[in-house]
Amino acid sequence: MRPIAFAMLVFLTLAVGTVAAEPTYRVFVTNERADSVSVIDSRTNEVEATIDVGDRPRGIGFSPDRAYVYVALGEENAIGVIDARTLDVVKKVSAGSDPEAFAVHPNGNIYLSNEDANLATALNPVSGEILAEIPVGIEPEGVGVSPDGSRVMVTSESTFMVHVITVPEHEVVANVLVGARPREVTFSADGKWAYVTSEISGQVSKLDVAANAVVRQVKLDIPKAKPKGVVVSPDQKTLYVSTGSGNMIAALNADTLELLGTVKVGKRVWGIALSRDGSRLYTCNGVDDTVSVVDTASLTVAATIQVGTAPWGVVIDD
Amino acid sequence: MRITARSLLPLSAAIAFLFCASAVTALEIRLVYVGSTDESAWLGVLQGQHEANIQGRFLDQTYTVEAMTPEAFPQSEPRAAAIIAAGDASALQSLSEGMASTAVFNVTADDDDLRQGCTTNLLHVPPSRAMKASAVAQWTQKNPDANVEARAWHPKFVKYAARDLNKRFLKVQGVAMDDDAWAGWAAVRMVAEAVIRTQSTDPSALLAFMKSEIAFDGQKGIPHTFRDTGQLRQRLLIVDEAGKLTGEAPVRGVADTTDLDSLGVPSCQP
Repeated sequence: MRPIAFAMLVFLTLAVGTVAAEPTYRVFVTNERADSVSVIDSRTNEVEATIDVGDRPRGIGFSPDRAYVYVALGEENAIGVIDARTLDVVKKVSAGSDPEAFAVHPNGNIYLSNEDANLATALNPVSGEILAEIPVGIEPEGVGVSPDGSRVMVTSESTFMVHVITVPEHEVVANVLVGARPREVTFSADGKWAYVTSEISGQVSKLDVAANAVVRQVKLDIPKAKPKGVVVSPDQKTLYVSTGSGNMIAALNADTLELLGTVKVGKRVWGIALSRDGSRLYTCNGVDDTVSVVDTASLTVAATIQVGTAPWGVVIDD
Repeated sequence: MRITARSLLPLSAAIAFLFCASAVTALEIRLVYVGSTDESAWLGVLQGQHEANIQGRFLDQTYTVEAMTPEAFPQSEPRAAAIIAAGDASALQSLSEGMASTAVFNVTADDDDLRQGCTTNLLHVPPSRAMKASAVAQWTQKNPDANVEARAWHPKFVKYAARDLNKRFLKVQGVAMDDDAWAGWAAVRMVAEAVIRTQSTDPSALLAFMKSEIAFDGQKGIPHTFRDTGQLRQRLLIVDEAGKLTGEAPVRGVADTTDLDSLGVPSCQP
């Protein structure tokens, strides 16, 4: 082989090995009471597969390279690992008692809440090693990891706090009080802000991450709204909040938390996920057993897709 | 190394920072339970204390509960943040009169007259008889042949976060949670929420917060507030003659499921 050709081959091999793989354009949805994951082709809005994943799947997320989908299996005390391309359940990793929700750190570790054990667990899903068990409040649920990986936030629903945990020390450095039954926490892309939904108080809180303090808090002016899912648009201007039995998605100004608009989706809307470009929002409608696809520019439902019983969480690889 | 004022500067700054960062004041909160410790309400109180102390661990707060019989209870108890009482109407009335600026929680009595007394510091956690009657009336509007009763709680209740509360109560107390246990638990957790939100242990401040501002999560899927009668607004459970949980009130299709004032008498009658 001529040197130039060999160099080309090395280059190509490296390129394939390091550059992110072509997305699968798949949407993965956990069905809490069907013990399955529905796989939707986001280009056709058709369900292309249903994966029997294990008992009580709720939280869902990708490995940093998006090669694997992780699913919290509450009744199996495990994280199920699905190959995002072959759709095989490749293994299950012990995750401590009753894992519910989690977030994946940029380094690949999983931070999860153990709902009935008042713990947050740091887990290496590759080795299966539990790196830390961090005592938090009662009924821990939502987990968020800051974009730079330096902070993990965990909500405790029955002690209405956001626990701020440093990485790699795994120390709780602050406990921020929010409204009753905080369910999810997410960071803005620049890591400056975190947003928290409180289901019983009906509030959305905006936290200053550097100060560990609530800087703004609003009660959603939507009948029967119980805020649950929260995502930030890629441009950081808009916040989308699912409202549970409010059966709507609320769009808020991410700076002021002013309500910009709503769109009616399905009954008991919980988990939500945005497409990479922010143009489409996928919503899990737990009572209707459907996923709505919302066009975010017009705040209208573009499609409604039948999935399994009690869809809970959703992620998209696009 | 010579220790000079200059070399100590960064250290003192660090200490000052740490002090500010943990500027939460240590609080000790003392509650008094008046009643028999054989009652399931007492187990609820213990569970509430257990949970308030888990919460308090993060905020430097410690909760203690002293149990005493009505006979042993002094005329007044100024060091108590609140009183939790499992007694009859007359015992509750005399307790509340003795300490007018301290919250006295009724955790067992369902008398309607007691609510209509509209005593400012008496807070009723269990549903009144009138509330339970409304719940049954709503249910039988849908199904006239049903033989049901209304309750505050059920050990097989799983919706909302009831599953979690039932699970941890059973784990810690070793028995299933019943109505009185739920009421005892709720009373302590409401005091703890008032302490956290007001950053105070002053009984009158806690009472004022609970009467006007609290939106308590009793793990029944809806915020709990107090009526001016002192009655806690709440969702009720419909239980059939076999003791099976069959529904919730306000009853869907008959009333707005979030209109908790569709149950019982919503305010003080003139």
